[in-house]
Amino acid sequence: MQVELSRRKFLQGTVALSVAGGSAVSATNLFAGADTPEKKLTITTKTGVAKEVKLVPTLCEMCVNKCAAIARVEDGIVTKLDPNPMFPKSKNMLCPRGNAGIQALYDPDRLKYPMIRTGEKGEGKFKRVTWDEAFRYITEKTIKILDEEEDNRSTFLFCAGEGMAEHTFQTFYQAFGSSNWLNHSSICLQTVASAYGVTLGAYPQSDLENAEYIIMAGANRAEAIVTPDTMDIFKRTKGRGAKMVCIDPRFTNTAAKADQWLAINPGTDLAFVLALTYVVLDEELYDKAYVEKYFNDFDAYRAHILSNGYTPEWAEPITNIKAKEIYQIAREFMAHAPKAIYYPGRRSTFAKNDFQLRRAMAIFQALSGGIDTKGGLVFGGKIEIEDHESLMPLYDKAKERGVVKTEAGYADCAVVSGGGSWLAWRNNFLEGKMPYSVRGMFCYKHNPMQNMPNTKKTAEMLKKMELVVCIDTMPSDTVMYADVVLPECTYLERTDPVKTFGGVEPALAQRNKVIEPMFESKPVNEILRGLTKHLSRPLFEVTKKYDSEVQDALAEEDEEAYYQEEFDMTKMYSHDQEVLNVHAVHAYEGAAESLKRYGVYYPKMDQYYKQLSANEHQYYPEKEKFYSVGEGRPQTPSGKVECNLANMSSKGIDGMPTWRDEYCFSVPEGKFRLMTGRHAQYTQSGTSNNIVLYDLMPENYIWINKRVAKERGITFGDKVEVISSVGTTVIRAYPTEKIAPNQVFFIHGFGAESSALTWAYKNGGSDNAVIEDALEPVYGAAAMHETNVEIRKV
Amino acid sequence: MARYGMALDYKNCINCKACEVACKEENGILMGADKHRIWVGVKEIKGEYPLLDIVSSSFEPSQCQHCESAPCQEVCPTNATYYDENGVVRVDPDKCILCSYCMNACPYDARYVDDRTMTVDKCNFCSDTRLARGETTTACQATCPTKVRTFGDLDDPESEISVLLRTREHFSLKSHLGTKPKLFYLT
Repeated sequence: MQVELSRRKFLQGTVALSVAGGSAVSATNLFAGADTPEKKLTITTKTGVAKEVKLVPTLCEMCVNKCAAIARVEDGIVTKLDPNPMFPKSKNMLCPRGNAGIQALYDPDRLKYPMIRTGEKGEGKFKRVTWDEAFRYITEKTIKILDEEEDNRSTFLFCAGEGMAEHTFQTFYQAFGSSNWLNHSSICLQTVASAYGVTLGAYPQSDLENAEYIIMAGANRAEAIVTPDTMDIFKRTKGRGAKMVCIDPRFTNTAAKADQWLAINPGTDLAFVLALTYVVLDEELYDKAYVEKYFNDFDAYRAHILSNGYTPEWAEPITNIKAKEIYQIAREFMAHAPKAIYYPGRRSTFAKNDFQLRRAMAIFQALSGGIDTKGGLVFGGKIEIEDHESLMPLYDKAKERGVVKTEAGYADCAVVSGGGSWLAWRNNFLEGKMPYSVRGMFCYKHNPMQNMPNTKKTAEMLKKMELVVCIDTMPSDTVMYADVVLPECTYLERTDPVKTFGGVEPALAQRNKVIEPMFESKPVNEILRGLTKHLSRPLFEVTKKYDSEVQDALAEEDEEAYYQEEFDMTKMYSHDQEVLNVHAVHAYEGAAESLKRYGVYYPKMDQYYKQLSANEHQYYPEKEKFYSVGEGRPQTPSGKVECNLANMSSKGIDGMPTWRDEYCFSVPEGKFRLMTGRHAQYTQSGTSNNIVLYDLMPENYIWINKRVAKERGITFGDKVEVISSVGTTVIRAYPTEKIAPNQVFFIHGFGAESSALTWAYKNGGSDNAVIEDALEPVYGAAAMHETNVEIRKV
Repeated sequence: MARYGMALDYKNCINCKACEVACKEENGILMGADKHRIWVGVKEIKGEYPLLDIVSSSFEPSQCQHCESAPCQEVCPTNATYYDENGVVRVDPDKCILCSYCMNACPYDARYVDDRTMTVDKCNFCSDTRLARGETTTACQATCPTKVRTFGDLDDPESEISVLLRTREHFSLKSHLGTKPKLFYLT
């Protein structure tokens, strides 16, 4: 009888099965894992039953935060991830995703071997090959294309997701010599980061440990966790030291923890901030000394705000926030200044006016004097370390970035940033507007199929590319379109470049390898080592053939020496990451050892760091913290807050934040404005196949107002089809009063189309299948809340 | 010998469920929404958009209360449920016959069936995992982003939990039932 079987025997069996779950692979299916029934029973492992235990400090990669963790390795198996209390950024915590990192490591669906496509693109049929075969295939195709394109290196696109090794991949792009680099920026925080950059000189951090008044608008820190912000603020709301006003169209978990929640119309935050600014200027509540010392064009901005009549009464019908509440918030904010924060947030662009919104927020904050000061926005200190070696040869035949130009500038946006505009680039490529042909792409840790609006167009783009090389850990929707798949190991199987984290309590942190890479996966540094070994010399041969500058140089120089000096890509990847990290921090005595042993280093850590209680730690003594690094001075080149960007005006962009009628929120009768967002238990598509997270929330649901749902006969769990002009998706309904009658919402990252993902495949709805491709005008960022949809019960 | 209890600064809870995952990974708990040793209770908000009652929406992290007078222990016919030397309410899998009386008796719905061991399982304050190897926090306390929990010895007047309970107002769940819970919610 089962009850007679001792618990210990069962648990011992559990560990053994977990090992099998992690390493057993069916011979017939490259994607298949262990048997499903076993998998279901043995997902987690009880700690403490092993003979050999090892604790390794690492950094989490389940989202972008890079929190410090300690991996518990028992008899070679990672059984638990615990918070590493020594890191000031993440303090002493791991969120649900951080805890679930073990399942990313032991996900049976992981990419295990290099593969070459055998079926149609998108079909997911591949053959297993050796690393050498994969590298030879890539080299052959790449050289053929480059030869036909006469060494125009920009005929290849390079794209990468955010991560600690993104820079390593970027060095490959730079040495390759293409001008086409696209990263997450234009589908992520481009507008917020850049708007604060041009206004205050840097994208600042928020001292939420000391602020007394916080406006949290369009940022959902209880669900979209950012460290240390999430930990700092929610211990202090609800009458416990800080008043938090949450401004959000939805009643989020952040709203639930706020002291006041105001339901704003989507896309109208700019009008709200302009009205706050009006009150502060009209009633002269601003910090006059700060403005006198650190503002450029203050009088012009003041005149602009007052003469346009941006009063709270004006803003009320636009924002749906009562004028008296706007007065109240403006006055309270300034009463608490400089310990008051209009929280900058870090998220994707939602509305087309996002750049102007962020500028208005930054200027409003500066009016309070709460810049570079305790309890306000802070620039913080930073520990400098040495960069990874890079190589940037000049290729005469390489064309500049593929953008469409007009007489005034660019066709799609005012400014082309380093990360480019993904949507504009993709659409120009599809519409044949590129100034030259782009024929291949290298894609690292990036999932364009799910990460940007209008999935159909992305699929079309990937089909048109002659060579798609994907480096990834999981068989994502994008990997299904790859010609060559190179399996990267997960973050628990590699050491990544040491990273410096600036802030009030700056530190260095390092992701140390916890266990050896499983299957045939490798870190990207080693993948590029192998690839460049094959690719570097043939690439140079193409250049020699077409590049007259190189031909001239070779007439005078020794070819081998010249190649090694200027074009040899292999040298960038010849060292292991561990060696490079020791070099990067060699200026600090004991740093390399500390990073290996504790995962963390900062000067005087041995004196400063101490445990205060079971939950609290000191990183720096109060007087050593970097609240203020320049006595309040903005970090712009002028050292002033820039109220008016005259150079933007010449590009058709408002030099000062200005409300335009087209920014007003409206939804046609019977339709809904679609909103998307983040969640504490999922990070976009990268975590959607994680079994433990799936266990917490098996699919995403569409929020629809309860009364509207009732009218339409929709009840909880009903399947509904969401329809826009670009596509449809099917998702289950969650009727709730936490959303307005003319809006719907669901979280991003679900509804994968890759059948190689056991849990994520066709699970829930995909936002980007229905979000239309709307471009924000300054950087060409994707504006994600500009789509109206229809809802139909199915 | 100790008398273990836990104080919960429950207003800190953001319902991220890090504690649930940490518990499952630490203690090897089965998958499934009905297989939780610990959980976060959520009350659906009252009112109509946008006039919502912000106070009505709260998150209540919870788990076994480790009652000093535990109804689940009283009804267990085989003494599978017992108090260990630290006052932690534990289950002996060799004695459990899965009669499920304890599940019905528990006023906090803290017990569930482990299909592998065929026992009615529950939170044990990580006694056989973390505490057994000398750690002084439970997995749920250690991982929590907003540090809801403080675990410790109620008999030690100098312990952090004792200090907290002396200096902060607190309440227990369903205290009128006379179960004497050792989970304390700080106000």
